[in-house]
Amino acid sequence: HVRYRMEASCLELALEGERLCKAGDCRAGVSFFEAAVQVGTEDLKTLSAIYSQLGNAYFYLHEYAKALEYHHHDLTLARTIGDHVGEAKASGNLGNTLKVLGNFDDAIVCCQRHLDISRELNDKVGEARALYNLGNVYHSKGKNVACAGTHDPGELPDEVKAALQKAADYYEENLTIVTELGDRAAQGRAYGNLGNTHYLLGNFRSAVIAHEQRLLIAKEFGDRAAERRAYSNLGNAYIFLSEFETASEYYKKTLQLARQLKDRAVEAQACYSLGNTYTLLQDYEKAIDFHLRHLTIAQELNDRIGEGRACWSLGNAYTALGNHDQAMHFAEKHLEISREVGDRSGELTARLNLSDLQMVLGLSYSINNSMISEIHAVDNSLDGARPRVGRRHSMENMELMKLTPEKIQNWN
Amino acid sequence: SQSIAGCQAAELQSKVVPSKQILHSDNMEMEPETMETKSVTDYFSKLHMGSLVYSCTSKRKTK
Repeated sequence: HVRYRMEASCLELALEGERLCKAGDCRAGVSFFEAAVQVGTEDLKTLSAIYSQLGNAYFYLHEYAKALEYHHHDLTLARTIGDHVGEAKASGNLGNTLKVLGNFDDAIVCCQRHLDISRELNDKVGEARALYNLGNVYHSKGKNVACAGTHDPGELPDEVKAALQKAADYYEENLTIVTELGDRAAQGRAYGNLGNTHYLLGNFRSAVIAHEQRLLIAKEFGDRAAERRAYSNLGNAYIFLSEFETASEYYKKTLQLARQLKDRAVEAQACYSLGNTYTLLQDYEKAIDFHLRHLTIAQELNDRIGEGRACWSLGNAYTALGNHDQAMHFAEKHLEISREVGDRSGELTARLNLSDLQMVLGLSYSINNSMISEIHAVDNSLDGARPRVGRRHSMENMELMKLTPEKIQNWN
Repeated sequence: SQSIAGCQAAELQSKVVPSKQILHSDNMEMEPETMETKSVTDYFSKLHMGSLVYSCTSKRKTK
């Protein structure tokens, strides 16, 4: 009789935990699940379900160490009771958690287990989901290694390329199955991440094709967050295709949706992207306008790193316009913020920019303005010396706004 | 050493744009992860306590 009461109480608590998590309140859900674990149950499948949901709740709360712990308990339990479907699910969740924690090799083992079991059970839905997860792990692995250097997309070490290519293959395999299953939502996710993988691989045309599909599906579902993501990713790909006008159109759509969705951080990101795009289009007034909007939101969100980046961009744009007083003002702010956040390379950049500007201002006070135009002429001549296309080229256009070419060499 | 410094800077998470010293105008937007889900109700049929479960759920409904 006591045991029955205990079981009932455990179930009741777990059901309330489920209800709260479904309603989006994971924090409260966790308390109920943990209370359910405290009460305990002799039914191991129920316990497995509680562990699994606790793991997912912690995952959504970004408490990954806790998520790992509970998904691990779930996996052990599922194996103990010989629940194959349960084991596959626990392996998948463990894999996703290990991926976020940066343990890619173990993540691959877990996701592969999810895939193998799903195939053994002829579970097409599970198989597709495992393929998507595997794609995500290889994508993260590739991106993580690529982050250690300062590569542009398309200029990658072999190790990174291999991981990204695997990710693309898994997304393609996933797409084949979810298309057969007619699962449009899953197709949307796969197209989005496939597009981003092609983007990193430097296949910008393929990236555009995938993101266009993603956009189409997002519209079908009226999923405005996904629609906004697709616009933003399309903008990024068109930048690399050197189609800056098209990129600016997509970024504007991103901005519009970010405002509708009242997401200030995303709005700031869109403004920053637009600022950079107008810099590439050499429309510095518009670039300044968007960078100032970005700056305002960064200050509002108390985002010092974003603020520093805005100051740097504004310094460059004002320099391009020959407004050296404003350029100086923002270069000083950039230096101040770089020091504050401990950004050593930002600090160095700011110092170089400041010394360049001080020199120009000093010269312009003592000689005349023709000196400045002469320096600009020297900078412009560099343009022809570096005819490479795409982003690298665009980045160099931006660097040309720094005033002394020798220092560009040192910096590079 | 510059790329190491760049990566250290990148670790300082910006709420607005990713921290990279090279001017990247992009911030790649990934699709969400899919987690596998389990529910205690999936296993109701396996439990030998149907009446208790019934009383739990009906009690909840009357709340």
